[in-house]
Amino acid sequence: MSELAILGVERPVALPDSPICPLDPHCDAREAPWDQQDLARRLCHALDVAQQAVEQLATTGFTDSDEPGNNVRPEKVISETAFLLFAASTADREEVRIRVEKVARLLIPHARSERMVLGICLEPALALDFAQAHICLGRLGYPDDTFDTLLRRSVASQARSGHERVPHRRLEQEWLARAWRDPRSHQPKGISRAALQSVLGRPMDLLNGHRDDVYAFTHALMYVADWNLKPRALPRPRAAILADAEAALARCLDEQDYDLAAEVLLAWPLTGQSWSAAAAFGFRVLARVEDKAGFLPAPSTRLQRLNSLEGAERSAYLLATAYHTIYVMGLLCAAALQPARTPPAQVPTGEARCGNAAAIVPFLNQPGPSASQSADVRQTREPSVQQGHWWDEFQRLNAIERDAIAGLLLNVALRRKTVRRDFGELRDLLAAAHAAGLADSPAASQAAELLERLALLGRRLAPDRFSRTRNLI
Amino acid sequence: MSSRVNHQDVVERLLETKAVDFAAVGKAVAELGPSLAVADEPWEGFCGTMRTFFHCYIINVFGEGNTVENVGELRGATRELQS
Repeated sequence: MSELAILGVERPVALPDSPICPLDPHCDAREAPWDQQDLARRLCHALDVAQQAVEQLATTGFTDSDEPGNNVRPEKVISETAFLLFAASTADREEVRIRVEKVARLLIPHARSERMVLGICLEPALALDFAQAHICLGRLGYPDDTFDTLLRRSVASQARSGHERVPHRRLEQEWLARAWRDPRSHQPKGISRAALQSVLGRPMDLLNGHRDDVYAFTHALMYVADWNLKPRALPRPRAAILADAEAALARCLDEQDYDLAAEVLLAWPLTGQSWSAAAAFGFRVLARVEDKAGFLPAPSTRLQRLNSLEGAERSAYLLATAYHTIYVMGLLCAAALQPARTPPAQVPTGEARCGNAAAIVPFLNQPGPSASQSADVRQTREPSVQQGHWWDEFQRLNAIERDAIAGLLLNVALRRKTVRRDFGELRDLLAAAHAAGLADSPAASQAAELLERLALLGRRLAPDRFSRTRNLI
Repeated sequence: MSSRVNHQDVVERLLETKAVDFAAVGKAVAELGPSLAVADEPWEGFCGTMRTFFHCYIINVFGEGNTVENVGELRGATRELQS
């Protein structure tokens, strides 16, 4: 059994703890980019885990009879590994290049296995899905003409479009088709219709939306951006898309959904050069958690279960439950290593307004979803014991840095109030945000619309009926 | 308006009849779920037609979902794997 290198992040970088409030937001230290060597180290860690994933999961996947939610099909591991390699190949670092080449050679027999060939042959509507790893490997310089011949025949068949897909999945198909047909010679014009129809093309439901909506957002963006190689036009202005991304980031950090948080953070390096204060803070949170755990963890890795297993079974469980989030951190670092896409080492404070954080923090007095739900914690009004990792990182910021991410705090609070149906506090929160000049955000706007609808509902229903309805929602 | 059917009242009336044995439904889902989750066929295969007799939702209750384990303990537990 090969050794599981899950602790490849062995040299945690001492993340810069902020000095006591240097109030000059434009000093050089604040504009310094994140250390490139540290980003490369994190990416190399993901690639080292990818090697283990291919060796242990690419043939049979992972089946968990106790918790079927942990099941991993080999095609998923193969496709995601290929995408990681493709993304990593855009980072101009020798240590990364060596690992990409090593893992790619391991992956080739799996990407072009009999199982994949049969899938392409038997299910032409899924041909590009089965060929994803092959296409990524081809783009890395590992072509296979015989495989291409079969793929061409399959995608030319009558049944090639016989599978209905949601917009972000249509974008994936378009991206795969472009990548396969030599993207260097083909530059698509204009905005993809699928992009317009996707959640990228319209405001996301930031208060009541599902995790799948955020997933659709992040994946649509990855395919439209083509990892900054041949990006297509965005269906909305970058600022509007990033405003949605900030609200989604707040939710993911608050729920400790680091898989999705890292995907959301890709929105910054995949659409432009600047990182907002909230995005820079989000990256710091993920880096800190990664350094503490040795890898960026997901909720699916449970210690009790891990400790009940031994040997290869234990190793497979850990890898199957952890590899995906580790890959996403690798993707994020790969994007951040591209020229002029690196996040700042410190939270940018150029747009901070003094006192904004203090205006919102009192509304974080309810436990976050990642907090313990014990009675003593529920009853306390002290925010510091009720939050997750992001709160720990928030405590490390100086006053002006905290003010700079007041919009993120507002997004966290808005979602908490909405999910808990605490509409009275939601109204007070919006009033405080407005007074602080923070209400010009999509989530705040959606919250105001929600309150307007509730006011209409209240006028329509008798008081006792309204009270009953409130219990139902 | 008074003749309009109230959806919630209908549901409550139906629940009161106890005509649906939710325990039995849950038992069947528990038995079939693991194999269906990894099957190539979609869930519609459960009924043999495209009609859906039961909608099964994952209800994410705020504050009661899984979050990541203690990161320090994770580091310790995963370190054992390398020895």
